[in-house]
Amino acid sequence: MGLLRIENLVKRFGPVAAVDRVNLEIREGEFFTLLGPSGCGKTTTLRMVGGLEKPDEGEIHMAERCLVSPGRGIFVKPERRDMGMVFQSYALWPHMTVFENVAYPLKLRRVKRSEMRDKTRAALELVGLGGFEERPSTALSGGQQQRVALARALVFSPGVLLLDEPLSNLDARLREEMRRELKALQRRVKVTVLFVTHDQMEALSMSDRVGIMNRGRLEQVGVPEDVYYQPATSFARDFLGKVFALAGRIVDATGEECRVELKDHAGPPVSVRARHSGESPWAAGKEVMVAIRPEQISLAKTAGDGRGNVLAVTLQASQFLGDRYEYTVAVGGESRVLTAPAAQRLKPGQQIYLQLDPEAITLWPTAQ
Amino acid sequence: MAGPRIPAVGARLRAWRGSLNGGVILMALLIGVMGFYVIYPLVLILINSFNTATIAEPPVYGLQAWRDAFSEPGIWRSLWNSIRVGVTLQIVALPIGICISWLLARTNIYGAGVFELFFWISFIMPTVATTFGWMLLLDPNTGLVNTTIRGWPIIGSITFDIYSFWGIIWAHLVSNGISTKVMLMTPAFRRMDASLEEASRMSGASTWTTMWRITVPMMTPVIIVVVLLSVIRIFSSFETELLLGVPWGFYVYSTKIVDLARQEPPLVNQAAALGSIILVFLAAVIPLQRRLISRRQFTTVTGHFKPRIVDLGAWRLPATLLVALVVFILDFVPILSVLGGSFMTRFGFFHLPKTWTTEYWRMALGDPRLTNALENTLIVAVSAAVIGATLFSLIGYVIVRTKLPGRSILDSICWLPSAIPGVLSGLGLLWLFLGTPVFRPLYGTIFLIIIAYILGGITLSTQIFKANFVQLGNELEEASRMSGAGFWRTYWTVVLPLMAQTMVMVGVIKFMFAAQHASSIILLATSETRTLILLALDQVFSGHREVASITVVFIMTLTLGVALIARSFGLKVGIRAE
Repeated sequence: MGLLRIENLVKRFGPVAAVDRVNLEIREGEFFTLLGPSGCGKTTTLRMVGGLEKPDEGEIHMAERCLVSPGRGIFVKPERRDMGMVFQSYALWPHMTVFENVAYPLKLRRVKRSEMRDKTRAALELVGLGGFEERPSTALSGGQQQRVALARALVFSPGVLLLDEPLSNLDARLREEMRRELKALQRRVKVTVLFVTHDQMEALSMSDRVGIMNRGRLEQVGVPEDVYYQPATSFARDFLGKVFALAGRIVDATGEECRVELKDHAGPPVSVRARHSGESPWAAGKEVMVAIRPEQISLAKTAGDGRGNVLAVTLQASQFLGDRYEYTVAVGGESRVLTAPAAQRLKPGQQIYLQLDPEAITLWPTAQ
Repeated sequence: MAGPRIPAVGARLRAWRGSLNGGVILMALLIGVMGFYVIYPLVLILINSFNTATIAEPPVYGLQAWRDAFSEPGIWRSLWNSIRVGVTLQIVALPIGICISWLLARTNIYGAGVFELFFWISFIMPTVATTFGWMLLLDPNTGLVNTTIRGWPIIGSITFDIYSFWGIIWAHLVSNGISTKVMLMTPAFRRMDASLEEASRMSGASTWTTMWRITVPMMTPVIIVVVLLSVIRIFSSFETELLLGVPWGFYVYSTKIVDLARQEPPLVNQAAALGSIILVFLAAVIPLQRRLISRRQFTTVTGHFKPRIVDLGAWRLPATLLVALVVFILDFVPILSVLGGSFMTRFGFFHLPKTWTTEYWRMALGDPRLTNALENTLIVAVSAAVIGATLFSLIGYVIVRTKLPGRSILDSICWLPSAIPGVLSGLGLLWLFLGTPVFRPLYGTIFLIIIAYILGGITLSTQIFKANFVQLGNELEEASRMSGAGFWRTYWTVVLPLMAQTMVMVGVIKFMFAAQHASSIILLATSETRTLILLALDQVFSGHREVASITVVFIMTLTLGVALIARSFGLKVGIRAE
């Protein structure tokens, strides 16, 4: 049973449906991420959950309580939803100290003075800012402001924590650090989190489950590994990471496995597990795209035992990137870029072999 | 190695010295002219407060004027009255201004854009028009409101008397008190990052709690600036007090100076002493004002802010109606009242056999005094606009773009006039022109009035130019210099065309200023150089209200008309707190 249930949620801005019939269930204690490019409707969805935006259609329930339902004329105001929220800009009030910022939700709940002090202290300790109470909120670095905002959102033990791209204003190093901390914190306080981001690294590394949004629609929901390796849509495939794609034609589509003959490439057909082939039924003779994450391709100097899918290609160029090499190879008359660990050094002009795990390949209809 | 270098260094030195010399001459000229017209008159006031002889007589130095000034209770009372009016007005206007700004900028009130336009119109509308319009309504004996409610139960016994302390406050509120605050604060409210309010909602606060605990405190720096800007100008207030206070012997600082200077024999030295007192006050507030305006305000603006709107729910319609009522009182009442006044046989007397008449218009249009005043106003306003815009663009340019020595002095001189009451600068100019034999022939000419008006808005004008030059980025000019154009050529061919819009804007502001302000020229004008605003004041005081309303209609048309035309071309004439 989900803690937060979103049913057929629709939000229109003029003629455009910013959020288009989104259905979602978030379980208690789960770290759920809505991932998508800017303008995909993820923030609007989050804001509708928080009550900062009113949906045009659909319903949102929390536990057994209906929070909003335009059809039934129900709208619970944001201040009555018992949710904490961290904003992209942190939204710390510059006229208040750190302590006053964090204590504000407790003050509004008429918590006793001594209890308020203890809880505020505890929340600041939790985010690693003990001793910063009397600082003006403007005299903090970006990372510290972020923590104060988090403490403020958690101090009243809300049922759900909403995070609206909270890491996007931090520099790369700090972002990585906060990512780990935020996840650890969530494990410790066991709060249900709805997180919104456009950064697939953040989504994949922190979430229990990820929902991929595109043009107002929720395209795929699943655990990070599934959505990454078995994307359900071409959008999910391209948005989540790099793709190594080759054009081909199905020669055999019986049973569990599909065999695909690659275009402009001599050699045995590539075999693919049919269950991974997302969008439409496959039949022999169909033009398709064979896709695989580049890091799932292993490079070898020899053809090996010939089992699995092995492609002989010519190495055109290599670039040293510190922790890895980036190789440009010619496959089927076109150049493709691959990366490989810096362990083995390959020379341009050399013939090399790519091994494509049949389990890792996905099959896609060729774009018309 | 050393050989080829020498000519290059020499050339650079020459170029540097050449531009320095030209620049120094220009700077000396600007400082000299501005100093002469801005600072010298003030020095004259200070000196002549210790002079016991009147203007144009050989000076006799002594403390008599100060002694007289201090022994006369009326002078102290006028200072106290200025403070009383100013402070009361702020206390009343500020909460109203805050509420309206918040409603317009941050809630889903209906027609916020239209309302904002009307607050702008109210801001543009000449003080004399609103004051006069409300005089016609709230005169204790003949005012339309008072005659109408006389027969009503309960409130029938009340008389709303505009010739009273609260009448003056009311006139200030409806003329500029509210609209200035709305104009200054609405943009600031709008620029506030909405997530600051949303964070409060998510923390458990209602709309109203959020407004009072987050939005208003966040706006405190802007609110303080708005209040201080008004407080600084507390002694400048003139037209309203002249019309509504003088008839019952209520004097404020500026009307008192005019009164002293106009007495027979004129007590100009006492006026100078009274003026000097305020110069001390101004010496303290001008640096403050300068800091307030030039300092960047609170960083509530974020790069990606989206203005979110507070849903007023059931309050949406009542709030809209309330603001509509305010707008009606601020804009429509004075306009209708002034227009009505000009077309009625006797204003407010609807039961007369012949209620409406065009007789006054026929009389007024045939009256040479009106046409003469109109002509004077146009000459003065256009001259002030053209000369002012040209001169201040040059000053702004020199301050922002050059590295000439003396820029800070020039900048400081330009800050002075803003806080100096118009009456005081008028008094100083009077002394300058009457007291200096060489200039005496100029007294009584329109030239004097033009100078007074040019000086009137130096601070605002140079600020606008400075801001625009800073924005412009100097690559465009540097490209011109690199192409071989000199300073003046660059200024004329690149800078001025790029600044054309700003020039027009400043010109419009100066034009409107000159068409409606009386305080800085009231001591300088004669019956030949009388402008519309002075004519209107004279007509009111001689009791010709119907004719006066026609003159006021002209003033209103000139100011509002020009402002609306400018606005239709995209120039929003106004003020900003940040």
